[in-house]
Amino acid sequence: MEANASGADTSRAELGRLLEQHPAIWRGRNVARMETVPTGFAALDDALPGKGWPRAGLVEILISRVGVGEMCLLLPTLAALTHRPSARWCAYISPPFEPFAPALAAHGVKLDRLFVARGESSWAFEQSLASGACEMVMAWAGQPQAVDKGLSRSRVRKNRTAERHAREIRRLQLAAERGRALGVLFRPQRAAREFSNAVLRLHVQPTEQGVRVTLVKSRGGQRGAIDLNWATPSSSNPSSSTSSPQAHGS
Amino acid sequence: MSSRAVRTGPARSGDIRPLSPVPAGVALFPTVARLGLPPVAEPRELWIGLHLPHLPVEALGASGDVPRAVLEMKGQTQFITAMCERAESFGVRPGMSMAAALALIPHLQMQPRDATREKQLLERLATQAQRFTPRVSLVPPDGLLLEVKGSLHLFGGAEALCRALEEQCRETGAKPLIALTPVPLAALACARAGHHCLVTEPTHLVGQLAALPLTTLRWPVDVLDRLKQIGVYTIGEAARLPRAGFARRFGKSQLVMLDRVTGKLADLRLRFQPRERFERRHPLLYDVEHHEALLATLEPLLQELAAFLKARQCGITRLECRLQHRHAPVTRCLLRLASPAANASHFAKLLGERLAALPLPEPVRALELRSGGLVSRAPFADSLWRPGEHGGGVSAESPELIEHLRARLGHEAVYGLQMLASHRPETAWASTDLEAPKTAVHERELPTIASRGAGRSSFLTSPWPVFRRPVWLLPTPRRLREREGQPHRRGPLRLLSAAERIETGWWDHADITRDYYIAVDIHGVRLWIFRERAAPHRWFLQGVFG
Repeated sequence: MEANASGADTSRAELGRLLEQHPAIWRGRNVARMETVPTGFAALDDALPGKGWPRAGLVEILISRVGVGEMCLLLPTLAALTHRPSARWCAYISPPFEPFAPALAAHGVKLDRLFVARGESSWAFEQSLASGACEMVMAWAGQPQAVDKGLSRSRVRKNRTAERHAREIRRLQLAAERGRALGVLFRPQRAAREFSNAVLRLHVQPTEQGVRVTLVKSRGGQRGAIDLNWATPSSSNPSSSTSSPQAHGS
Repeated sequence: MSSRAVRTGPARSGDIRPLSPVPAGVALFPTVARLGLPPVAEPRELWIGLHLPHLPVEALGASGDVPRAVLEMKGQTQFITAMCERAESFGVRPGMSMAAALALIPHLQMQPRDATREKQLLERLATQAQRFTPRVSLVPPDGLLLEVKGSLHLFGGAEALCRALEEQCRETGAKPLIALTPVPLAALACARAGHHCLVTEPTHLVGQLAALPLTTLRWPVDVLDRLKQIGVYTIGEAARLPRAGFARRFGKSQLVMLDRVTGKLADLRLRFQPRERFERRHPLLYDVEHHEALLATLEPLLQELAAFLKARQCGITRLECRLQHRHAPVTRCLLRLASPAANASHFAKLLGERLAALPLPEPVRALELRSGGLVSRAPFADSLWRPGEHGGGVSAESPELIEHLRARLGHEAVYGLQMLASHRPETAWASTDLEAPKTAVHERELPTIASRGAGRSSFLTSPWPVFRRPVWLLPTPRRLREREGQPHRRGPLRLLSAAERIETGWWDHADITRDYYIAVDIHGVRLWIFRERAAPHRWFLQGVFG
């Protein structure tokens, strides 16, 4: 697509129209039409399949450490979900610290729809996802640094761990679909190399003004990085200012 | 009077007596009939009347040797309604004003009356009294009646039975006055008068009653006053008045009561029904060690429990499962539910989680299931729409998930969040016990900062700007290393904001004086740190911006 960049816009639009209308052409992107929840950031919405977080499914967010801006990314959604009429629960499964109630309330989150559960994260995460009683469930996968230190590990063993992780994620994805819940799993950055069954995988990195979100995997969406800037402290609505979706073509 | 009672007694009760040789027609002539039947001296019923004069005080629990009294508001002033024996010996009486009682005993301890606890104690006493007889009735607010005719020989006679009953009440913390007569109301009247009598023969009853004051019948005050004006103070004096005139001047119900107390009229009493509970024991044919097998054997019991609850439209909030072993003590497994439940599969799921985590010292020989008290509960209609979704009802499943998580993780491991009106970060939030979904009304009752915050919106708002408070709070502030006066955490921290001073809490000995900063570390994580204003000026990490 980059090859015929000259006079790009008009011809590309024409091509798109042609592809959409032609009855014999089937495009994978259209399959991904699913129920979504707006993220609260216009630039991110545009990049995601279905213009938002999936309503039911597992989203993996890869972070280098806790606090790089991953919660700010989710807070508008959390606030919106807790305000739905007859909202179900939103759950924190074994969070790394205590969720600070006044800050959550300041972001517009309705506190009486939240609960925190500690211990046996994997089991609690799956139960909450599958129960059908939760809108959104967040869990923090353990930082496997201690394990990774053993550099002499054989390749076979490494593959087995990845396989086990993949199987667990598949189970969680199915649980989320069954319970019609948005599952958010925060994983360490190095898990990007592993295969995963999640609907959506993002990599979140901190920047000076906000975060850079890299779409590692999205079913039928585009890939690339989006820069999101947090609003200045004076305004209360987080909004995106710049965005540079570098379309790679899927 | 006694002759009449003898003649009509058996006929009224429908007792089957051996046929007398006298033909039926002869019954028209009383004298002949009397000749045919043996004189019945034994009464058909024997009632113990139990009066608890100090119940309002005793219901509030035991308290050493301090004289105590219970107060009640009447109009504008507070009056004594009941007092303990010790206070009574000092001369405190019901109806006294608070000031008068304090003048008699300066260190008198006074408490407001608690009717629900009185009722609970009375019901507890009634339940315990069922040890003596199945026919126990409550006489609220402070009496019990027991029909003990059939139990006398089991407890060694009337006197021994009364003593055993009194002993039992004293163990529970109540001092009763007891009387035994063939007529329930008479027994109560005797007990109220403190007249400890044991009358087993109906013929002796009237003689015992005659001297009792009329106040023991608890007639309305104005009736008692009018009787006083004509010089009638006792039951005997009232019974001597002409019946027609008595009914006209003092009311028909008072006359009926007089007839009842002397045994001329039948006095029916409602039997006390103790609270229902579900209790089943299931002995096993062979020893069971595995949790799955235990759960499978529990299944029919749980089904039975669900049917039991469904028939009564009730739910339970407590369920205890006891596992009995050959030698080891009983293993108990207690289930507490957030809301009344009556679903067998729900119980099975929760018990399964609990049993899986329970170490068994030995194989199980028998199972026992005991429910807590029944709570009324509206059953859910099975709808096509799942609750909480696409127009379904309010999420009914939510407590089930919470209970499920709690069954395995422990009750305290699952909690909600609540905002408190405080500027200190440590006390600005609290964990709450989760309940069923609350309504918006409840929200307003919470002492939140929202009520004071500017601009009431549809949801709770906090007075701080969004990006001034971190999303994560450390359970306790973590000390930061310091190099050349600058805080360090995996490298130097860069301060992003000017200091925000929080200096409060001087009133409860947890005062803080801190300067808060937003800082960013070398990995780009934004932190909420503070510096103590007091002497060592140490740096601490308290929060992480997500």
